Amino acid sequence: MVRNESLRKLGVVTMNIKFNNRDPVYVQVIQHFKEQIATGLFEPGQEIPSRRELANQLKINPNTAQRAYKEMEEQGLIFTERNLPSRITRDEAVIKTVREELILEAVNTFIASVQSINVPLDEALDLVKDNFDKAKDGQEGDA
Amino acid sequence: MIEVKDITKKFGRKKVLNGVSFTANKGEITCLIGINGVGKTTVLNAIMNLTPINSGEILIDGNKINKDSYEKITFIPDAITMLPSMKISDAMTFMADFYNAWNQTRADELLSFFKLDANERISSLSKGNTAKVNMLLGLALDVDYLLMDEPFSGIDIFSREQIAEVFTSHLVEDRGVIITTHEINDIEHLIDKAVLLNDGVVLREFNAEEVRETEGKSIIDVMREVYHA
Repeated sequence: MVRNESLRKLGVVTMNIKFNNRDPVYVQVIQHFKEQIATGLFEPGQEIPSRRELANQLKINPNTAQRAYKEMEEQGLIFTERNLPSRITRDEAVIKTVREELILEAVNTFIASVQSINVPLDEALDLVKDNFDKAKDGQEGDA
Repeated sequence: MIEVKDITKKFGRKKVLNGVSFTANKGEITCLIGINGVGKTTVLNAIMNLTPINSGEILIDGNKINKDSYEKITFIPDAITMLPSMKISDAMTFMADFYNAWNQTRADELLSFFKLDANERISSLSKGNTAKVNMLLGLALDVDYLLMDEPFSGIDIFSREQIAEVFTSHLVEDRGVIITTHEINDIEHLIDKAVLLNDGVVLREFNAEEVRETEGKSIIDVMREVYHA
């Protein structure tokens, strides 16, 4: 915990993920990074924990942490210069794509759930409009 | 790599291991899973050559166990083997005298990692702290492979968490670890490979991330399938 505090002060991201047991852990780690990048909680150029620190923070296998970083590096979500710690991408096009990808995923999930209960689009959209701000207020209240 | 090839072991007329094969890589955590009495500890004893096998072969980095390969491995039993009247520091000195591979720097680091006081007597330690001392004595050896028998068994949740933290830290580094357990919950996300044992045979050997990726199953899902089949 002390370590996490000191990392936070240095502007290094710290995190906590609730994992499910059925999706690959490395995929869940990448998804978490994408969400934080899209919402700006992980800022462009921000330093990220080392593979070992990530494994330690998330209580996951170090090889899994390594795999997540390798994939994210390949996708351009993070980058490493020489022997320095890895950082969140500064590439705005990548960040934009991540955001769009997450929005599309959320919309598709939404469509699938309203279609499964036969809700017409207009009705669903009206309810979305009515409840969107309420839900957002609620969330901020929780935090 | 540790290769266990088709080993059998009889105690009297009872076949405890009946053709067990699996591999454990360096830099990975391999977990032997099975309910009690399926031969998990016997497998570890066989790798250490503490119990002679009846047939089959065990290779460590390609060689049968010999004086050299023996120094590459350590076995952490499920209970501490030091005298209760010893202080933790006495136990550490004993290990240092006995093993060339003893690494005092790492031992000191482990002491603070586990928040242990070297002046305490083993007899006065809680179960959780006794388990931590037991782990410390094995982890402080500079060996390539660590075999741990039920490191999470019979101790409180906070001690279990602290011991689990060892596996994600640099204290294990890139060594190969084989642990046995009958309780997977705590370590579902910590292990690389699971080897499911039952009645002296391996029912399934798999990489945990691979099974999640290709079959969408947790380790417990696979256990349910295999043990209830």
